[in-house]
Amino acid sequence: MSWRRDAALAATSARQTMSARGELVGRALFFGVLLLVFSRLWLVMAEEGRLGGVAAANFLWYLALTEWVVLATPMIYLTIEEDVKRGDLAYSLARPVSYLRAKFAEGLGELAVRCVSLGVLGFGLAWLFIGRLPDQPLALLWALPTGALAMVLLMQIQIAIGLCAFWIHEAAPVYWIVQKLNFVFGGLLFPLTFYPDWLRAISEATPFAAAVYGCGKLSFGTTTSAALTTLLWLVVWNVVNAGFVSVVYGRGVRAVEVHGG
Amino acid sequence: MGTIEVDGLRKVFSVRERARGLGGAVRQLFSAPSREVRAVDGLTFRIEKGERVAFVGPNGAGKSTTIKMLTGILHPSGGAARVLGLVPWEKRRELAYRFGTVFGQRTQLWYHLPAADTFALLRHVYDRDVTDHKRRLTELVEAFEIGPFLNKPVRQLSLGQRMRCEIAASLLHDPEVLFLDEPTIGLDVNARAIIRDLIRDTSRERGVTVLLTSHDTGDMERVCDRVIVINHGKLLLDESILSLRQTYIRRKRVTLVTASERVDIDLPGVTVAERAPHRTVFEVDLEVTPVDVVVQAALRAGKLRDLTVEDPPMEEIVQAIYAGR
Amino acid sequence: MKAAVQYFGAMIATNLRASMALRGAFWTRTIFMFINNFIYLVMWWVFFDEFSEVRGWMLPDMLAIYAVAAGVFGTAMIVAGGVMTLARTIVQGDLDTFLTQPKPVLLAVVASRSEASGWGDVASAVVLFALCGYVTPASIPFVLLALASGCIVFVASAVIFHSLAFWLKDTEALSRHFLHFLLAYAAFPKTVFLGWLKVALFTVIPAGFVTFLPVDVVRGGGWKVLLAALGGVVIYGSLALLVFRAGLRRYESGNRFGVRA
Repeated sequence: MSWRRDAALAATSARQTMSARGELVGRALFFGVLLLVFSRLWLVMAEEGRLGGVAAANFLWYLALTEWVVLATPMIYLTIEEDVKRGDLAYSLARPVSYLRAKFAEGLGELAVRCVSLGVLGFGLAWLFIGRLPDQPLALLWALPTGALAMVLLMQIQIAIGLCAFWIHEAAPVYWIVQKLNFVFGGLLFPLTFYPDWLRAISEATPFAAAVYGCGKLSFGTTTSAALTTLLWLVVWNVVNAGFVSVVYGRGVRAVEVHGG
Repeated sequence: MGTIEVDGLRKVFSVRERARGLGGAVRQLFSAPSREVRAVDGLTFRIEKGERVAFVGPNGAGKSTTIKMLTGILHPSGGAARVLGLVPWEKRRELAYRFGTVFGQRTQLWYHLPAADTFALLRHVYDRDVTDHKRRLTELVEAFEIGPFLNKPVRQLSLGQRMRCEIAASLLHDPEVLFLDEPTIGLDVNARAIIRDLIRDTSRERGVTVLLTSHDTGDMERVCDRVIVINHGKLLLDESILSLRQTYIRRKRVTLVTASERVDIDLPGVTVAERAPHRTVFEVDLEVTPVDVVVQAALRAGKLRDLTVEDPPMEEIVQAIYAGR
Repeated sequence: MKAAVQYFGAMIATNLRASMALRGAFWTRTIFMFINNFIYLVMWWVFFDEFSEVRGWMLPDMLAIYAVAAGVFGTAMIVAGGVMTLARTIVQGDLDTFLTQPKPVLLAVVASRSEASGWGDVASAVVLFALCGYVTPASIPFVLLALASGCIVFVASAVIFHSLAFWLKDTEALSRHFLHFLLAYAAFPKTVFLGWLKVALFTVIPAGFVTFLPVDVVRGGGWKVLLAALGGVVIYGSLALLVFRAGLRRYESGNRFGVRA
């Protein structure tokens, strides 16, 4: 029964995402702009023979994949922060629905709409701007499960950020930091292979690399075992984060009970 | 020349319609249907200097839209209007020196700063001389009794305190006309009474012309001497409050407090509205029996301790006007 | 004239005080913006570490263009922060207050907000100018003029973009991304933009006037480049005034959106 409720929540939030078309169009346009600028960069580099024989297309498709994962993740921390601050969480305790589960379902609905629309648009534009698929086009098929798991992982991190509002005044600064760490450690613009060894080692130890770089590197081709390893890591990080989020949530709720909100 | 002259004023908005369901949401990604709403539909009236006029009507009647056109915020779809001899949407800035506005649902006070900071800024907004500004500010602070919280951030003030500062801010530059849009919205009974008195007294002392919108008939009774009732953007009635009472009040309420436990008045057109021991309220239809006849009958009916004659509440009158009676 | 300067001064002073009224938020925003700017540079440092230059564009040039971008946006946020929320101001009918005052509406609304994050941008601009090595004591007046011209073109183009809200319906969410659209071009190795894209960057998306010409002034471009930059100020400034004035005639004071059909 409760699966049906989750599905209903997800469908409702998917509808809402579609009707707030301004936000979606804004993200899509931004995605397009980024792909356009970077396509120029990589084309110039390829023209001058500086990419060591790697196709410019691989680098642009890399960006298409990393940005797809980042842009499709819903800004769920905002609504959670609001619920925590307004004390709505206290009411939800009295309901038969788990708050976290409901938020997760809502987030999935939003994620699904963005994942599909931004994916179609982003991959279409990448193709248009660079004129071809990456060297191993079939590796892109792995992007579907990898991207989906990566987005879910980033969404879980957002949930954790929103829950910070139990303890601190404003969750936004935390979000900014995490977002920037995500860009650097995830290798948003450039693959981790460019990074100096020490920075690469740090990056690879974070969930951001598992999500963003994990999806992006498929553009340079992959083997089945490498792709499965990436997926496995994403599953592990997702489980770890799910555990972390529920512990944080439990503590937050208890803190509210002690202090009376 | 009237202070405010409005002739056949019209304003049409196009309103977007929200589609429902998943299919609707997808369609809406591409186009959205809209339809026209006539918010103000051929309004004509004239207000003289120093008049206090209430603009009354139910929600969405077009009150705010009219005020926004008279202050130059909105351009009309048709018709003409002049305020102090100027067309507001053409001479907006010139006119702005000469009127003040209070929008009950918006604020011109800086939320995180004390009201005193906004007042200081307003001196530059209206290019006021330092001494004039100080003198006027002192007067207003005293009259509005806002001194105690003048230096507290606005976000810490109660709604009533904030509204007093809001109105003081609108009067700082000695305007000739004051437009108020729902100035008492959300206020409690006491704060409401204070705001009403302040508006009325300022207008009387300085000859400020006042046009206020409200859907609270108390505002119009306590502040204004004339009322303009509109609905669906059209004029329903434009009369002095006094003649409104005379025309529309066909009934009065007579309350008797008597030594005997129960009294009766047996006249045509007189009915009992409420009855308690020693206290009886009669409703009198003035077209059948004049009120003096009822009072004489009451005097004969038993030993009186008290007698009051009242009009029915203004609310009922206005409701009757909306209903077209 | 004197009154106008006094008015603008009083407006800015008041909104500076307002932005600093909440001390905690002021400092978090300032500091996070500062960190934020350097994190993007880390990614570019990685790139130039790998490739050293793109068509003669090197890391110091990247530092310089980031310095210009941060200086331009930071100044705009401090003295004209209202421009970032202009579309929302229009849609929600919050122009009313400014319209009932006897002052130029655009000036008043733009100067009505000061974003604390601007100080973080300005601070990082100072550090980056020092690091890039292009600025000498003698060139400081040039640099400041170049920044001022970039800032005015930025504000003017933001006004044009946000003014779409007078005509179109759902542009608010879109307008919020304006900064990102522009920044994607404006803080990029500009040497890769050629042909029609370069034309677009000096017209539709005026990144050329916001950072490209100013950064050339910083890199020692001299009077001619500065004059070209100032030409952009005249063109975009007058265009913004025209568009905003035309939009005001269609202003609906929140009514269109307030009415439920």
